[in-house]
Amino acid sequence: METRKFSLANDFTKTLSDNNRILIIVVGLLSLIGLSALFSASMHIDLPFLQKVIGRQLIWMLFGVLLMTLIFFLQGKMFFDSAYIIYCVGIVFVILPFFLGRATSGAYRWIGFGALRFQPSEFMKLLVILSIAKYLCRTDLPITQFKSLVPPLVFGLLPMVIVLSQPDLGTSLVYFAVIFPMLIWAGARTFHIFILLAPILSVVTAFNFYTFFVWVILLIVVFYITREKLWLSIVLFIFNLSLGYLTPILWNHLKPYQQNRIFTLFNIEADPQGAGYQVLQSQIAIGSGGLIGKGPGRGTQTHLKFLPEQHNDFIFSVVGEEYGFIGTVVVLILFFFLIIVFINSAFRLKDRFGSLIIIGVASALFFHVAVNIAMTVGFMPVTGIPLPFLSYGGSFIFTCYAAIGMVMNVSTEKPTDRSRL
Amino acid sequence: MYYSQNNISVARKNFLLTVVVSVFFIILCRLYYIQIVEYSRFKGIAESNRIRIIPLEAPRGAILDRRGQIIVDNKSQYNINVIPYEASQSKETYETLTSLLNISSDELNRRIKRHSRGLFVPAKIADDIDFKTLSYLEEHRVDLPGVLYSFEPVRSFPSKANLSQVIGYLREINKQDLKNIKQFGYKQGDLIGWKGIEREYEPILRGARGYNYIQVDVLGREVGTLRNKDKVLPVPGNDLYLAIDLDMQIYAESLIGEKRGAVVVMNALTGEILTYVSKPDYAPGLFSGTVKAEVWRDLITNPSRPLYDRVTQGTYPPGSTFKIVAILSALENKAVDPEWSIYCNGKYRMGRRVYKCWKKEGHGRMNMHDAIVHSCNVYFYNLIRKINIDVWSRNASNFKFGRKTDIDLYGESAGTLPDAKFLDKKYYGIGWTEGTKLNLVIGQGDLLVTPIQMVRFAGALATRGKIVQPHLGLKFLRRNDSQFSIFAVPSDTITSYSPEAWEFIENAMFDVVESGTGRAAKVKNVKIFGKTGTAQNPHGDDHAWFIGWSKPEQGAPLAIVVMIENGGSGSGIAAQMAGKIYNFYYNPSMQQMLADRHGNP
Repeated sequence: METRKFSLANDFTKTLSDNNRILIIVVGLLSLIGLSALFSASMHIDLPFLQKVIGRQLIWMLFGVLLMTLIFFLQGKMFFDSAYIIYCVGIVFVILPFFLGRATSGAYRWIGFGALRFQPSEFMKLLVILSIAKYLCRTDLPITQFKSLVPPLVFGLLPMVIVLSQPDLGTSLVYFAVIFPMLIWAGARTFHIFILLAPILSVVTAFNFYTFFVWVILLIVVFYITREKLWLSIVLFIFNLSLGYLTPILWNHLKPYQQNRIFTLFNIEADPQGAGYQVLQSQIAIGSGGLIGKGPGRGTQTHLKFLPEQHNDFIFSVVGEEYGFIGTVVVLILFFFLIIVFINSAFRLKDRFGSLIIIGVASALFFHVAVNIAMTVGFMPVTGIPLPFLSYGGSFIFTCYAAIGMVMNVSTEKPTDRSRL
Repeated sequence: MYYSQNNISVARKNFLLTVVVSVFFIILCRLYYIQIVEYSRFKGIAESNRIRIIPLEAPRGAILDRRGQIIVDNKSQYNINVIPYEASQSKETYETLTSLLNISSDELNRRIKRHSRGLFVPAKIADDIDFKTLSYLEEHRVDLPGVLYSFEPVRSFPSKANLSQVIGYLREINKQDLKNIKQFGYKQGDLIGWKGIEREYEPILRGARGYNYIQVDVLGREVGTLRNKDKVLPVPGNDLYLAIDLDMQIYAESLIGEKRGAVVVMNALTGEILTYVSKPDYAPGLFSGTVKAEVWRDLITNPSRPLYDRVTQGTYPPGSTFKIVAILSALENKAVDPEWSIYCNGKYRMGRRVYKCWKKEGHGRMNMHDAIVHSCNVYFYNLIRKINIDVWSRNASNFKFGRKTDIDLYGESAGTLPDAKFLDKKYYGIGWTEGTKLNLVIGQGDLLVTPIQMVRFAGALATRGKIVQPHLGLKFLRRNDSQFSIFAVPSDTITSYSPEAWEFIENAMFDVVESGTGRAAKVKNVKIFGKTGTAQNPHGDDHAWFIGWSKPEQGAPLAIVVMIENGGSGSGIAAQMAGKIYNFYYNPSMQQMLADRHGNP
């Protein structure tokens, strides 16, 4: 085997497979759209450019691209070897805000380094993906047995519980959301996935007799088709049934504001000034954009501040208002394209570890996009999940670019044995 | 370990792809729904989010008399407004305002709170400020951030005439009415004609409000005007001309003075009302803007009821003026002929009751003509015995007694015209007798009329049967093309009486003024016809009536009614007043003299 000469330019173009090139173009386009929306949201703020949202975001993006490039050139083996260690370090960092974090509006999410603030829970998303991927790569793993699913669940649920108590519902849900696609990808039994997700559906359907009834029928059908051991089926069935029965009782023990958050999901226009206000204003912004939008910098909802959190969780509404249906569809198509490219390259990749990482990133990305946009169009309550590459936020931008760098890294078929490089 | 081989089943890949595709598809559908299907709805909400509409009030049309003299006009009332946020930033502003308006700072806070519609929306804290305060504010504009003044048009009453019952007043529209007339552009807090002409001609007098559009942010802060939305200028209301002759009106009002009663002068051919007095009244200026609670309370609790319109709402027994109806009944069905006579000895005995003539010693022999001229009760007692009550009642209803005149004023009474059926019902069980008839024929008892019905009656006699609808509104000047629109008025003709009957009535009523009970109404240079009446009033002194008309050489006859509550005999004060009014009208030298005194050229 020939020894590889290192030439940055050559290496870069060579290693940029077609998929990676597409990735960079799509991510670049999304970032540009995000910047233009941020530019619009901050154009009437009288501050020096670099102190404005747009200026800071630009700086973070530049550093994010540097981080992405760095990760791209790292040895893939390094991720694999250090996955568990950096996971542990990550957990420590996630706990840290409780001790030295600054409470921002009652939430312990941040660690401060001088003027910079840093949100470890964002990076933790990648570490959860890494460690689950590493675990599922074990050749001796009896993936069809239920016990093999327990460690990946723990990898996800541990940071989830910590972050949930910060409290940060949105981020904690991401840890949970990446587990299942990765398990499916690794070959776990569908039945196992099903019984893991069944309790959630039992809770959700329990509020209405008819939905719960349909759900129970579905449970019976699934247990019948899968023909598991009878005692197991019965135990699981009774467990789900009693969970559904208890949910309404527990619900009544929730505090009103907690109930309100969930109520918002169902009827947002009932109380425009209350919990549904943000979602309603966001819908008005998007809806009033029409087909072609009001034009860059001319969104009235945005500029007159009717739209809350416009540079953050509701950046998509700015796009919807100023660029209209065309703008939102373009963003939607770009994200769709990105995820399809991920799934395809994960499918083609021979390397199991890389494939799992790509699926993990894809599912985290998909979760972010789906939940964020569903929230801005009024399908979901406000959970605090930003839109990748568009929303403002340093830690989040770094995480997004780092994730892309990781995907590009692992999806590059290295010509030689990696250990030699 | 690191290089574990990847083997994914196509089914699992497709499953994930399906989830992704369906979620994206649902979101796409939703975006299509809110951005394309529901676009106009959300656009509307977004617009109303950012656009604040500033109404520009339109002045109401002026009200003028028949010759164009102003009765009601508009003036500007200045109000002080405060932007709550800006005012709360400065302590000096508060102090200046409290000392300027002479109120405590608690009161100031209370006022701001009451009118506040947002931190950056001006709230009214004082209305109708005087010129001194206004100029102080103007001078110290820079030192008083957030303090503004605005003006709104309010009614002013430059003429000497009160005309309060005619003009009526404006009041803030109530919620129920608002529901019904919302489509005409009324809003909460708008003033609307509540009584009188202001109410009746509301659609003509009312202007169309204009609008200015400004852009505001989420806090309601003004951030500029709108580019593509032009200001809509207010359109003032149309000027309304009344049939009122302002000079005669002022004269008649001063003539009645402090007495309670009603005077109406009407053109007998057209129904135009030249003078309309209901006393006591009130100064219309009390209602120029928002009525203060204590003023309102005084008006309502005043025992002489100044808000009560005696001309159209007051119902009174007409007294002897109604004897004409009995004459016409007799002549119509030829129950007696005019030469039929009786001897009046001052009383008329029927059964055990004695009905008296107003003249104790009696009138002696009376024929029909003399009975009218001297208003002899006994003659009419005898006459009515020969006439069926329903015939009498039908004849009265020829002149539309018991029915509203449909004058252009709100809240008119119909009065009461009894017939056999009415009496049967009223005296059910007791029974009514011929005596009831004797009361009715001299205009007493259950018969009730309004002064406006009586002037119409006089007009019908003057024109030999033409019944016109009395009206105050004459015409209005259309804003859009500066042309007059003249109100059309319906009229009716009575055909039941022969020319001889009319002639007879005319002669008799001429002699009433010439040599009978109505001598006080006699006027130089013009023929006056009339009939006096003294209506007994169980609560006090008799009401004095005079109805009549003039027959000038040229021009239309003017019908008149004078009714003075507790005025005693009709031959006294009522006839006298009618005479003075006719004299004022037909003898211009006196008019000139009085006009000079009142400052109306």
